[in-house]
Amino acid sequence: MCAALAALMLVSLTACGKTEEPERQELFAMDTYMSLAAYGDGAQEALAAAAREINRLEQELSRTVATSDIYKLNDSGSAVVSEETAALLKNAMTYSAATGGLFDVTVAPLVSLWGITTDSPRVPERSEIDALLPLVGSGHIHMDGNSVTLDDGCAVDLGGIAKGYASDRVAEVLRQYAVTGAAVSLGGNVYVCGQKSDGSAWSVAVQDPKNTGAYAMTLELTDVFAVTSGGYQRYFTGPDGTVYQHILDPRTGYPAQTDLLSVTVIGQNGTLADAYSTALYVMGEQAACDFWRQSGGDFDLVLITADGRVLYTPGLADHISQKGADYDFQEVSA
Amino acid sequence: MTSKRSQPELKPKPLDALVVLAVVLLAVGAAWLSYGGKGEGALTATVKHRGQVVAQVELSSLTEEKAVSIDGAYHLTITLDKTGAAVTDSDCPGQDCVHTGRITRAGQSIVCLPEQVIVTLEGKTPSADVILG
Amino acid sequence: MKLTTKNLALCAVLTALALGLSTLENLFPVSLVVPLPGIKLGLANIVTVFALYQLGAASALGILVARCLLGSLFAGNASALLFSLMGGVGAMLVMILLRRVRGLSIYGVSIAGAAAHNIGQIGAAMIVLGGTAVLGYLPVLLGVSLVTGTLTGFVASLLFRAMRNIHFTQ
Repeated sequence: MCAALAALMLVSLTACGKTEEPERQELFAMDTYMSLAAYGDGAQEALAAAAREINRLEQELSRTVATSDIYKLNDSGSAVVSEETAALLKNAMTYSAATGGLFDVTVAPLVSLWGITTDSPRVPERSEIDALLPLVGSGHIHMDGNSVTLDDGCAVDLGGIAKGYASDRVAEVLRQYAVTGAAVSLGGNVYVCGQKSDGSAWSVAVQDPKNTGAYAMTLELTDVFAVTSGGYQRYFTGPDGTVYQHILDPRTGYPAQTDLLSVTVIGQNGTLADAYSTALYVMGEQAACDFWRQSGGDFDLVLITADGRVLYTPGLADHISQKGADYDFQEVSA
Repeated sequence: MTSKRSQPELKPKPLDALVVLAVVLLAVGAAWLSYGGKGEGALTATVKHRGQVVAQVELSSLTEEKAVSIDGAYHLTITLDKTGAAVTDSDCPGQDCVHTGRITRAGQSIVCLPEQVIVTLEGKTPSADVILG
Repeated sequence: MKLTTKNLALCAVLTALALGLSTLENLFPVSLVVPLPGIKLGLANIVTVFALYQLGAASALGILVARCLLGSLFAGNASALLFSLMGGVGAMLVMILLRRVRGLSIYGVSIAGAAAHNIGQIGAAMIVLGGTAVLGYLPVLLGVSLVTGTLTGFVASLLFRAMRNIHFTQ
């Protein structure tokens, strides 16, 4: 009798406390912090499966895991990679061509030179940079089915695309479970789907690059991928006090000189959003807007400029729920 | 030879239900204390280190700055005050956590990757579900 | 309590058993639900319940303290000691008081002990983490204590039934 009573009490206790809280999962993977939240009967299983998928991708795509496809490719200059890695490399080359090389996975030797992903970043000599610049360019990647060859001295780093691809894969995994809504952030690569327990869309805030305590804008979104790139996210200060941000311009080998503080790409493809957000940040305001117009509106953009404007594409107009007080808001003309 | 200390009742007795009731009442009381009494804007800062909560503070209850120290491979100082949280000092290589600056809104977080430290702010009315950037 | 060799050996065996149960508890990672360091289910309370009735409060306390000290030595951190001590001693005190109450069975006593165990642990968390914010986990843990307490009581009742005719102490 007592046990039954206890069980009953426990059920009622947990039932009243849990109606509104989503299942959550956090993990450190792919050199970043990831947090996943989901609603629905299958939420817990779905998140566990998503975490497994992320760990699997890290083993396959990381530049530093000695058994990964990418490590083997960089190490020996050629490798037979998995179907998945090959497809992702092909995509990367497509995005590189589309952005005029401003997104390029072959920028890896320069990234290593600057030590951007390491514990000890440094400012290289001009001559060191000039020596490596010829190694940058997707033309150095040769693919024949799943067998990939790199030109001498070249290396690839999928860091600018892997998290976006992971968000695509996570979306796919979540679809296989009874999930009514989910919000996933893989180190800033966001995917939202379905709805919250109260039936509303997800509120997605774009960080104010100039004030960490504030948002530049808040959007109500669902069933989309979104990625923000900005120099403010990761940087180091050189010995002379100059600030060097982590996004390199593949054309110059130096940190991007841009009139933008951040670029947010919102669309139906996480991999594309990841690649384009970096490239458009390097492009700068004018070129980024032109690029969007030429792309035929496949995706939406939020550009935050150094002179205090927030530019957004018309597709977002109806989704904006809050505008940061410190910015002028302008809609990009189609 | 048969002087037992005390022979317990081995079958549940009606009075046991009273104990269960008392525990449930306590649980409800604790739930009310920690969830019911909170004002709309109340922010709670949670500091996690390698998956474990090492500090959880309701910010409005602070009368002065409170420092939380993390000692692992690297050493971080997290400063909490009435309205926000910041990693004020760290000897980790990237310094991303320090660069993140001060966070003041529910939903925001600061992450130190090398030491796996996460500082999050939670509140009854989160300002956003996900933050880009 | 007379410290006979028999008594000492019995206490040592029970301490080992309690330590074993403490280790077993790690298979149930309560910390997934309540992410506080040192939170445990309290299965080792089975030994406390048994010792309390069979050997008396003094021996039971001795076993408890030995278990906590050794357990934190194995775990290798001092805050674990505070958690297990505050949980264990809290449970013990409540059970010492309640076992004299007529009309309460071993189930009632165990459940109260389990609840006290979890209250003690949250108390430890409040001391270690500073602040009352962790109180939010108490309702969940109290719910859990209804189950662990019932389980502890059930196991202890089986034990007592099996040992009805065996007398450890004179």
